[in-house]
Amino acid sequence: MFKRSDESLIAKALNGDQHAWQQLVNRHQAALFYFGLRLLGSKEDASDLLQDVLMVLCRNLGQYRGDSSFKSWLFGIANYRAMDMLRKRKYSDNDDALAELPDDAPDLSQQLAGTQQQQQVRQQLRSLPPEQRLVLELKFYQQFTFDEIAGQLAISANTVKSRFYAALDKLRLQLEDDHVEQSANF
Amino acid sequence: MSNNQQIFEQWLEGKISAEHCAQQLQHDTLWYGRLQNALAVHADAKTPEFAVLPVFDASSAFAGQWQRPAAKRSWWPQVSLALSCAAMLISLSPAQFRLQDGSLTLSWHNPKAEVEAAVTSALTAYRQQQQQWLAQQLDFQQQNTSSQLVLLKDYLQDELKRDQRSDMLQLVEYLNQQRQSDWQYWQENYQPMQAGYRPADSYYLTPTDSGVVKP
Repeated sequence: MFKRSDESLIAKALNGDQHAWQQLVNRHQAALFYFGLRLLGSKEDASDLLQDVLMVLCRNLGQYRGDSSFKSWLFGIANYRAMDMLRKRKYSDNDDALAELPDDAPDLSQQLAGTQQQQQVRQQLRSLPPEQRLVLELKFYQQFTFDEIAGQLAISANTVKSRFYAALDKLRLQLEDDHVEQSANF
Repeated sequence: MSNNQQIFEQWLEGKISAEHCAQQLQHDTLWYGRLQNALAVHADAKTPEFAVLPVFDASSAFAGQWQRPAAKRSWWPQVSLALSCAAMLISLSPAQFRLQDGSLTLSWHNPKAEVEAAVTSALTAYRQQQQQWLAQQLDFQQQNTSSQLVLLKDYLQDELKRDQRSDMLQLVEYLNQQRQSDWQYWQENYQPMQAGYRPADSYYLTPTDSGVVKP
């Protein structure tokens, strides 16, 4: 079936087409929610992030100029709001407590993957510094290029790469510490 | 950028396979370890998520932000414009509304055909008029010719009579002249001779009572 482009849906939504707006939300809300879930570690925070991002999107829909893909523009908003939430949590809570949060992720991993390796990957991703975790999230889970990530975070592509490789190095060490054997069966 | 980084980023961009990348990087523990970790995260990223999405009413926010109450539209300007256009179209088109005998009829007339019919009618009337005029002229001409012919006949008859009379007179005169001539010739040539041969008691020597000279 013919699928309307994001730009077409935005144009219709700007003219007051609620159906187009709902289509746009339905198309991206799952990615935004799971992004928040992985990054923030709890369903409540992910739900808050989703709601927050959608509200910001609704207010600023007319500011989308099409310079980048809509998804990249949308995740630029989501990144900023997510980092803002993490920053607030850092000041209100102990940052180390994030990795030890009794969140839904272990149960979720059991439901989803059911393998110990993936549970460990999720746990160790959560223990990374937020900036590095964000870069891995955007690169692997959202399939953005380094240039797109750099555009979203308003930093250079080299900085993105350095965060990316630093995150991989840290993850490697932690995975090695956990004696996780990775198989290259891709 | 090192060669191994290039190989690793080629895998990230999907240009080479993970196996090929692993073969290239297996001698470099740093990059091989990065690849293994990346593969682990990549595998997790490919795992579908099943967490239930929260229910969030995005429509109300959208309605408050972007939907405006529909402006009340008055249809009268459009109706007026449409009727004006229709009137203009009817006036320019061959359509005609006719109110006749209490009934309104819409008819389509062709101006060209109407002009042709008018011209044909005018030509017919002109032709009839011309025919009448020609007939009158012909009749008048015939009458005129007849009268002239009568006059000519009378003239010719008169002339003929006059000529005949003249001819007769001339003939009589001619005959008289011939007789006179013959008489003179006889007197001059034959009378003396005759007198010599005529007896004395000849009739021709006897004088007449009438005074006419005997030949």
